[in-house]
Amino acid sequence: MANLPEIGFLRRVLLFRDVEEPVLLALWPSFRERRLKKGDVLFRAGDPGEELFLIRDGSIVVSKPVTGRVEQVLSRLGEGEAFGEMSLFGDERRRSATCQAELDSVLYSLDRDSLSRFVTGSPVAAAKFFQQMAQVAFKRLRDSSELVAEVTRWGLEATGLDIEHK
Amino acid sequence: MSEVGDKAAESRPKRTRIELLVREQDGHGFETREIPSAVAYLHSRPQRIPDADWEMARLPYAPQGVVTYALKNRRTEVIIQITETEKFLWGQMDGRASLQEIATSYLLHYGSFDFEIIPTLIVKLLRADLLTMRPVSRLRAVLARNRRNPAARAMEGTLHALERLTVTSRRSHQFFERVYRYGGFLLFSPWALAALAIMVVLGGRSAIAIWRDLGEVTHGLASHPLVAILLVKIVFWLTVVNHQIIHALACIHYRRRVREFGFTILHGFIPTFYADVTDIFMATRRARIVNAVAGPLFHLFLGFFCFWIAVRLEPGLIKGFLAASALLQLQSFVISLYPFWFLEMDGYHILVEMVGVPTLNHDSVRFVRESLWRRIRTATWLTRQEAICLAYFTLSLASLAGFVLLNVWLLTRAGKS
Repeated sequence: MANLPEIGFLRRVLLFRDVEEPVLLALWPSFRERRLKKGDVLFRAGDPGEELFLIRDGSIVVSKPVTGRVEQVLSRLGEGEAFGEMSLFGDERRRSATCQAELDSVLYSLDRDSLSRFVTGSPVAAAKFFQQMAQVAFKRLRDSSELVAEVTRWGLEATGLDIEHK
Repeated sequence: MSEVGDKAAESRPKRTRIELLVREQDGHGFETREIPSAVAYLHSRPQRIPDADWEMARLPYAPQGVVTYALKNRRTEVIIQITETEKFLWGQMDGRASLQEIATSYLLHYGSFDFEIIPTLIVKLLRADLLTMRPVSRLRAVLARNRRNPAARAMEGTLHALERLTVTSRRSHQFFERVYRYGGFLLFSPWALAALAIMVVLGGRSAIAIWRDLGEVTHGLASHPLVAILLVKIVFWLTVVNHQIIHALACIHYRRRVREFGFTILHGFIPTFYADVTDIFMATRRARIVNAVAGPLFHLFLGFFCFWIAVRLEPGLIKGFLAASALLQLQSFVISLYPFWFLEMDGYHILVEMVGVPTLNHDSVRFVRESLWRRIRTATWLTRQEAICLAYFTLSLASLAGFVLLNVWLLTRAGKS
């Protein structure tokens, strides 16, 4: 990482909020900067996943293929948010969704090996990291449940089905 | 068309949206679009069931001058009433036209448009299974949802087995046509009415005479209580067949089709005979009323006939049996014709014809459950149909409460004596 350490930015990222500054300083060189133009696809659902991403600037749209060229937008992520952790820590090492830049964006990536070194080298910091990751996972689960309910409601309204009185 | 669609979308409350991402043709770049459910609704293409599965007839009477039609689902035998404008919309629902296009056709045809007419019609059609969904009883739905529960599974299996205990003839129409040709037609002649009137007079006098010597009847029954109870019940059950046969003959009389005749376990626990005379709904109003009245009138005739015979017999079991049967037949006559039970028996169908609300039972329960309290809170006047629904619901509830209280009183009195 050529730039000066952006500890202030890392502090705004939920995953690293409680990690001590010396640990962040030690981790900083492992981050790689990635620039995306508006419309660029970072990765697609099903691609192998080896990195965690932090959004420095811009906006990322997370989507899931539905049919043909149409995908459902699952969420929009902005500055200070992280994504891509599912393929690093989940049971599958493939990307579960497609991520693309809605605006020109700057990301910082952290690969699997660097993250493993961070976890084994700083167990206390790693515990705080995973605690926050659990919070992120819970929030995503809640968001997914709400999305399912919303889409179901949408389907009922769109078809005019009157389930209650049938 | 877009003007119609836009106005329609504006008039509806704001609904849910989903966000979709659409990629460019070359794979580079994309755009996101929010699709409100109302827009998707406008683009949906409702499709009515195949033409062979439904039929429509113009209803001969027009409450408040509105021309209406009976639309019948031949598979489920459900009939709904639709208006002239709904008939037009029904004609458009061929699976090719979107709701937006249907709305345009409507606007061009009638010169004005009320968007709520389409959702209202679609709900009505779905409920009658005229578009897609299959009807299922609430009990069966609950049992299906709880199949993990062994008790629910066993009950579902039992109900399924009982429902299969149906003996039916789909070729009964030819049989009843023959019965009608060889004498059944007399039941629908003035002679039958005269015979009924004479029997009511003779039977009424006999009933009075029997009432004076009631001890003879009760003594005859009390001497063989078990035989008497079984005999009365079995014979009454068999007379239900005649009730249904007369409904079927009335159907033939008005040149409509008897679709089925048979025996079934109603709702899984009531053994009964039945005649499927739903085709009569496609006939005239007079035909439907005569059909509904004919069955109960048989009980009236049979009741007084039993009294007339009973009064001529010596005291004993047969006399007691005939008198008890006569009472049971007259009770059946009253119960069949009394419309306020929440049950759709003959009297209910006559009431429906009188007030011109074909789905009165369903509508009344729905109105009280969903709209009545809101109307009371807002202190707004009821429409004619709402007033009818409220009256029907109130009278049915009072009748049921009265029936329960009467039975409680009888049981209490019997217990004391």
